[in-house]
Amino acid sequence: MTRAVGIEAMNVYGGMACLDVKELCLHRGLDMPRFENLLVQEKTVALPYEDPVTFAVNAARPLIDTLAPEERARIEMVVTCTESGIDFGKSLSTYVHAHLDLPSNCRLFEIKQACYSGTAGLQMAVNFLLAQTSPGAKALVVATDISRFALADAGAVEEWAYSEPSSGAGAVAMLVSDTPHVLRIDAGAYGNHAFEVMDTCRPGPDTEAGDADLSLMAYLDCCEGAFRDYSRRVENADFRDSFGQLCFHTPFGGMVKGAHRHLMRRLYKAPPKEIEADFQSRLAPSLAFGKRVGNTAGGSVFVALAGMLETVEIDAPMRVGLFSYGSGCCSEFYSGVVTPESGARLRAMRIPQALDRRHRLTITEYETLLRGESVVRFGTKDAELNHQIVPDAWPVDAAGDRLVLDAVVGYHRKYIWI
Amino acid sequence: MDSDRIAEIIIAEIRSTVPELEAQPITRADSMTDLGVDSIERSEIILATLEAIGLKVPMVQLHGPRNIGELADLLHAKSAA
Repeated sequence: MTRAVGIEAMNVYGGMACLDVKELCLHRGLDMPRFENLLVQEKTVALPYEDPVTFAVNAARPLIDTLAPEERARIEMVVTCTESGIDFGKSLSTYVHAHLDLPSNCRLFEIKQACYSGTAGLQMAVNFLLAQTSPGAKALVVATDISRFALADAGAVEEWAYSEPSSGAGAVAMLVSDTPHVLRIDAGAYGNHAFEVMDTCRPGPDTEAGDADLSLMAYLDCCEGAFRDYSRRVENADFRDSFGQLCFHTPFGGMVKGAHRHLMRRLYKAPPKEIEADFQSRLAPSLAFGKRVGNTAGGSVFVALAGMLETVEIDAPMRVGLFSYGSGCCSEFYSGVVTPESGARLRAMRIPQALDRRHRLTITEYETLLRGESVVRFGTKDAELNHQIVPDAWPVDAAGDRLVLDAVVGYHRKYIWI
Repeated sequence: MDSDRIAEIIIAEIRSTVPELEAQPITRADSMTDLGVDSIERSEIILATLEAIGLKVPMVQLHGPRNIGELADLLHAKSAA
């Protein structure tokens, strides 16, 4: 039997402010009958003093705070996974490591491959543990992304429009170790599908470009290809029967639904009624948080896992199938086992309550933020952050446990706990 | 199977996937986007058409056509290849 490794603890951080997506679609004059197909309700909007570092640290801190000093001392790797980097050389993980006060005998680095980054980071950590080069070590993997693209000019706003309702922000922190209370990874059970394609990209510091149709097609090809590679490695793997629940990378819920339908047709020629029932029972639970934060890119597949653990009553060990896709493109289908303890530990993070506490932006506040006047752009040398840009978003009950960006001095980002 | 026959299959799949378009005249010159078919529905229509004509190709190879006629031509070329 292979060694137990996987996710020991996990938290999702959905930021300080959110927007009602239906209101946004009405405001933009989008076709409302089709709105329901998106399967989204709210999206997190990053405030100017929230950046990929604050999201990452705020996601990770509750996990770190519960560790005994000797456990914290065993965190020997901090991997940040992101497509929202703030420097070409220095990785986010250096800031994350500092603000979590982690030991200095630690590997710090960052991984990029669009929305696949989180899975790449998790597998990196899992394989570090399986290799047993440092028995008993732990790794902190944090997938953190924000979307803040409509800054450049009106053209960028227009280009961005196709993904505006679904682009969110959020971070997922995972403590990876040999005591996988939340998800025990099935070591060696994975499948990849990757090929070069220009579907969506971030060609400049504050811009996103892409072709939604091509991206959907690549996602569908990858979903099928990665599962077929998984079944090549895992004897008797069956998409319908092997997994009690499924968690997919979620650009928006409708896309997951489309991919599931595609796979069920391709693999089993399943009739629509059966496909719909299967989606409702095995995939709908995973959308619980995604429909509240929007697309969180690198963290999205783990936002799905967290949503499933939050909403499904697990009464016995259950295998979960995970699918991660990152534009460009690379994908992976893999699996792990969750137990009743997984749900209890995840629910103890009180993620829905934290999401409820976000400030609900008005359209006027949102448009003020979109103009980007207070945003620290990539490459900024010096800046002072205006914490009162949306006065109602600043917490009144601050307990000193939330990190925000305060200033940039000589490119160095300065953060404060509020 | 010629391109016109494939276009007929595509149009039939459009009508069955998006019932609102049942009564609307649809020709080779129409684009699915202009007809109001969303991206998920478009992928389903393409998949159903692939099944109907017995063709297996990656979806990304079918990206690019601007209307139903061009899609039918592309599928026809792929079937002949």
